[in-house]
Amino acid sequence: MTATTQTPSTTPRRSPHWLRLPHWKFAQRRPRGALALGLALLAVIVLATIFVPMLSPYTATAIAGKPLMAPSWLHWFGTDTAGRDVFVRTWVGGRNDLLMVVLVVLGSSIIGTLVGVVASMSSPLTDSILMRFTDALISFPGMIIVMAIALVFSGVGEIGPFPRGALPAVIAIIAINWASYTRLVRGEALSLRSRDFITAATLLGYSKSRIIARHLLPNLATTVGAYMVVDAIVAVVTIAGMPFIGAGIQPPAPEWGSLMLAGSTVLYSAWWVTVMPGLVVTVYGIALSLIADSLLAEIDGGAR
Amino acid sequence: MVVGAEDSSAPTSGESASKPAAGHGRHRGLARALTKRVGQIIFVLVGVVVVTFSMLRLIPGDPARLILGKFATPDSVAELRHEMGLDKPILTQFTDMVVGLFQGKLGVSLVSRTQTVNELIGPAFLNTMGVVAVSLAISLVIGISVGIIGGIRRNDAFDRWLQGLMVVLLSTPPFMFGMLLLLLALRTKIAPVGGWNHTPFDSVKYIWLPALALSIALAPVIARSLRQSIRETFAQDFVEAAIARGLPRRQVVLRHVLPNSLLPIVGLIGYSLGGLIGGAVVVEVVFNIPGIGARMMAAVGARDFPVVQGIALVSAVTVIFFNALADAAYWLIDPRTRTAGS
Repeated sequence: MTATTQTPSTTPRRSPHWLRLPHWKFAQRRPRGALALGLALLAVIVLATIFVPMLSPYTATAIAGKPLMAPSWLHWFGTDTAGRDVFVRTWVGGRNDLLMVVLVVLGSSIIGTLVGVVASMSSPLTDSILMRFTDALISFPGMIIVMAIALVFSGVGEIGPFPRGALPAVIAIIAINWASYTRLVRGEALSLRSRDFITAATLLGYSKSRIIARHLLPNLATTVGAYMVVDAIVAVVTIAGMPFIGAGIQPPAPEWGSLMLAGSTVLYSAWWVTVMPGLVVTVYGIALSLIADSLLAEIDGGAR
Repeated sequence: MVVGAEDSSAPTSGESASKPAAGHGRHRGLARALTKRVGQIIFVLVGVVVVTFSMLRLIPGDPARLILGKFATPDSVAELRHEMGLDKPILTQFTDMVVGLFQGKLGVSLVSRTQTVNELIGPAFLNTMGVVAVSLAISLVIGISVGIIGGIRRNDAFDRWLQGLMVVLLSTPPFMFGMLLLLLALRTKIAPVGGWNHTPFDSVKYIWLPALALSIALAPVIARSLRQSIRETFAQDFVEAAIARGLPRRQVVLRHVLPNSLLPIVGLIGYSLGGLIGGAVVVEVVFNIPGIGARMMAAVGARDFPVVQGIALVSAVTVIFFNALADAAYWLIDPRTRTAGS
């Protein structure tokens, strides 16, 4: 290190909050391996939610055996208080959870990215108005408000594949959640704008919409993608937490959180009713964190 | 290698000293930053009030009808509408609520018509904040310990396993961890499983387990942040200087590195509080603690909307207050943040 390089070291680089989450060490050394492992775990979960309810001899609502049978070859996750098969219920519930997570992440990322890109490309006044609003929304005490809204509206929204209470929960989360994408995207987009290839495109006389679609968005994809994966971990904790206060998906539709809640009354005698769905949620989180870390390692070459 | 260069050993004075007449500019910057932040807080507060106000009005159907049920006579519905103020123009309803808020009143419960919302949610809110406070303390102890270990023992096997454990903990929802702890407590009787006691000292017995469950959402984040921060501090010249002066490693870490690495934690605590309260609401239900989660659930079940509104409002204002406090702490501790840009 020489005297000329001392200035950057005195101002600490403040990375975004979500980059400071714990990371798998080996994901930095072997991003490919971590990605493969994460995708494999996620694939198991996704495939199970698709195929287990189709192939299982039991259904989510029918009584499949005696109440509170311990896990066995007949019932892999045991049976619940009513004698229903917990294994099938976990994966049918997973369909609801994954569907809601996908909607939350897609909805938030699309809205957030669009607003972020527009803010970065528009006049300083529009930019500052949009960003003030976004900042306010980010400092909005989201979780508790989201839960209150989802709770108050939990009786409505039985539409198509969505059980009662699912849509209000999804909409309430998106309404607050998109803002964090906007802040991320705007920062990235601003730094991309000063790069030569964007300047070249501007000088060639390309329209703003073409620059956004052909030059900005493709270069933002990896960062937004990595954040979407991190967001999907947070989203499932929020969604599965809602049934504990009576919000979110309403019974009898199964869902990871409500399955665990239903088991909490018999926790001492039949731990499997609660712990088995809970383990699935944990594995889901581990899978996504592996994927996110390997994507992050791609982005900045393991600078963390 | 520049050892002990002036502006890096004293980063607090480095920026203003480099520019002549910087003092004036810095104060203007501080004023601008403050104005911006206060404006934002007011904007968020207004937003919270508007959202909680509209929540009640946006429910499909007539709230009075919902509360009284299908078989209520039109007269009694009209009477309740009058009592709730729903027959007034919507703008009057809003100003009534805002005036009430300025007087510190959150309205009257619709279920037990004699109790105010303040009386109903006050104790519940204190219980929740108790869990949050103890959880914060546990998170800090665990997070700082693990963070220091990670910052010092770089990438050795112990650090790697600890990091792995932190990711697994962070991937586990707090209510899942809470249930595992509950199961452990049921088997080993290390703590009372659920329930509550109102004497403050005794309540620690009931709080520590749910608080520990809640901590797994925050402790790993603190650990990670501190670890990163310690490494950045280690790379700075004044640490190099301290090592070069021959100070014992322990003293270098505790006296030079750690104090300069703790700053990000301050902000982290402020900004995590919203999520922590949200998590506490869920964990409480697992442990049967009479906090705002139970209160909110009961209120929605009984369609006691002023109580729901009050809980959302009070929690929101608490979070906003602590966010602002975190900012203020930043400004007090680190003068570098006293510019509008940050």
